[in-house]
Amino acid sequence: MNSILNEFKSTSALCEEELHDSLYDWDTANGFALPTFEFPAVHNLNRFMKDITSASAPCQIEIQHGTTTLAFKFKSGVIVAADSRASQGNYVSTSSVKKIIEINPFLLGTMAGGAADCTFWQRELGRQCRLYELRNKERISVAAASKLLANMIYRYKGMGLSMGTMVTGWDKTGPKIFYVDSDGTRVDGELFSVGSGSPFAYGIIDNGFDFDLDVPSAIDLGKRAIYHATHRDGASGGTVNLYHVKPDGWARIGRWDVEDLHWEFQDQPKPSPINSSVIG
Amino acid sequence: MDRFSGNFDRFSDLFNPYDSNPTNANHAIGDFTKCTRKPLVMGSTVLGLEYQDGVMIAADTLGSWGQLARYRNESRIYPVGNFTVLGAAGDMSDFQHTKHMLDSLMIKEYYTNDDHVLSTPHIYEYLSRVLYHRRSKLDPLWNTYVVGGYNNGERFLGYVDLLGTTYQSSIVATGLGAYFAQPILRNAVEGREGILTEAEAIEILNTCMKILFYRECKTLNRIQRAKVTADGVEISEPYALPTEWSFGEGIRGFGTQTQ
Amino acid sequence: MDSFLPVQVSWTPQTAASGSDFYPYTNNAGTVAGISGGDFCVMAADTRQSFGVGYLINTRYQPKMFKLSNGSVLGTSGFYADGLTLIKRINQRLEWYKHAHDKEMSTPALAQLLSITLYSKRFFPYYARVLLGGLDLEGHGVVYGYDSIGSYEPCLARATGSGGSLIQPFLDNQIYRKTPLGILQAPHTLDQVKAVMRDSFTSATERDIQTGDYLELFIITAQGVDVEKYDLRKD
Repeated sequence: MNSILNEFKSTSALCEEELHDSLYDWDTANGFALPTFEFPAVHNLNRFMKDITSASAPCQIEIQHGTTTLAFKFKSGVIVAADSRASQGNYVSTSSVKKIIEINPFLLGTMAGGAADCTFWQRELGRQCRLYELRNKERISVAAASKLLANMIYRYKGMGLSMGTMVTGWDKTGPKIFYVDSDGTRVDGELFSVGSGSPFAYGIIDNGFDFDLDVPSAIDLGKRAIYHATHRDGASGGTVNLYHVKPDGWARIGRWDVEDLHWEFQDQPKPSPINSSVIG
Repeated sequence: MDRFSGNFDRFSDLFNPYDSNPTNANHAIGDFTKCTRKPLVMGSTVLGLEYQDGVMIAADTLGSWGQLARYRNESRIYPVGNFTVLGAAGDMSDFQHTKHMLDSLMIKEYYTNDDHVLSTPHIYEYLSRVLYHRRSKLDPLWNTYVVGGYNNGERFLGYVDLLGTTYQSSIVATGLGAYFAQPILRNAVEGREGILTEAEAIEILNTCMKILFYRECKTLNRIQRAKVTADGVEISEPYALPTEWSFGEGIRGFGTQTQ
Repeated sequence: MDSFLPVQVSWTPQTAASGSDFYPYTNNAGTVAGISGGDFCVMAADTRQSFGVGYLINTRYQPKMFKLSNGSVLGTSGFYADGLTLIKRINQRLEWYKHAHDKEMSTPALAQLLSITLYSKRFFPYYARVLLGGLDLEGHGVVYGYDSIGSYEPCLARATGSGGSLIQPFLDNQIYRKTPLGILQAPHTLDQVKAVMRDSFTSATERDIQTGDYLELFIITAQGVDVEKYDLRKD
């Protein structure tokens, strides 16, 4: 009955009520609430999202996708590494993405899947972790932080979000890695790699891993794993970004162009472009 | 290769019988949507151009019902206030709704009695926002509008369609007119807006409408013209354009000849 | 419910009468590019508005680059109505920010605002490829590139829109200097950057049917924003 009433309630296109609502969206009191979204008035949202992002859509909404990320625990903490290529279909939209997201000085997240999904929700997670800290006078545990993220994401399950992330950090219980994805999975673990290049990265890490690795060797292992993934996976590339999670927070170790790493790992000098006429 | 691309298939194409989609709590999404998916009575081309005294627009008077030339005296040009005119293509019932809405808007503005009158850019902006709003609700007003006006010596001619796409230009054409009439208009008008006389403008529009009538099956040679000048809006009575079909005799495959 | 993909996207009364489903997007296309320098930023866009897939040119001059109230410049291509709506939303937020804080929003803050504004439409995205240009807190030029749902990053040079994939490799070569000799970041002057930008659009116009007519250059310096207009091919 109400729907019939509503239909005839207003003849003007924008009723005042709607206008009022949209104006008060920006009330600062809403700052503590979870983010809200505008939804299209369709019956099957999943279908709608699929249609507008499909390659055959007349106006394809192209979403940047990220690809090889890894994190593993060893005796001195956690190594987190990622490549930096973002692609929209076959187009490399940028080669300098920061796929390791600094949630706060003690927490790192990684980006695989939709770039915007990962950055947006991990930024939101950072905000909630800060609120937790203010309310409880102590830092949030990695387990709790990753659960906050997983629960937020789960509300949108099946609606097209795409993210596979590792939340890492060092809390009272020591170094931690949680894998969280948009299907609702959340698992605690020692070693993960996520993205299309992950099989290659797993191969390298499983081969060279030892819990008692010293820090330089662990860094080298992470670097090599990402490099090999960029070498064999077309959707990964650019540079390797690498972080080390330590008891007093994370440290950014460095960034290496995979082209330079290629020659370094081959134990060959980078060929001079001027004389490189023969391809060996 | 992206391991996440499979996400969309989770609930796949089938309607989800358990309705587990959390957004269905929101009334707008759970309901089946009601909207113009198939326009019924349709108007076709509207043409508009700027000339030295103001702007002029033209439209034929046919309201088609599918292939049927159902309403032959459908006026598709409507004045809004004293210095704005609206030409509509697309669904005629949505056009009637729009006329009602704009009338209400003008009356509401008049109530305040503050000597402020909505000028053409205001009306155009309002109309385009309404159209965009409706497309965003996936409940479009299935029209393409040409808005013409003349305010304080300024000519205005704008286009807005059912998606909310807008542009302003010294010539505007909707529907098949964008293919048939646009080149003629561009040739005759662009760069000459300031020197084009009323008689020339009428001649150009008549020619374009006649050419459209020859080639577009959903037009009539019965048209209406409106001009907006410093004196206000003037909409002509419908009049017939003289046509000449005898040339068809000499063209193989055009008229009665089949070989 | 049936698929939202209609038989034909471009709408004419004729196609509509044949009963295609409503599709809420069209591609008015166009190209936007930006290059940042030490103390300036050059943003550029063509002014052609296309109809969608119907090979029609709506108009040869409908600017798609806008100076925002805080002196940054926002360029949009894709679905024009979405782009325009985005600009209106951003400008309103800037206005309110100004009243609340009694200062203009900085470009880096605006970049984040733009990102979350795009993401707020995650489930009904703006079909807009946007580029934001301005000066950062130290007065250095900066260009931010986005995808349509808000993933963004600052960059030296970026091109997007229908001719974006034609211009970007040229900028990689001319601005980033990504050559076989390695990455040599040569310092570039405003005049050099303007020349690169004009060449970019001249070339894109040769090969992209939806780019052309006029080029608008927005030059952002500490003194403000200058707009220059040039001709492009009109075919």
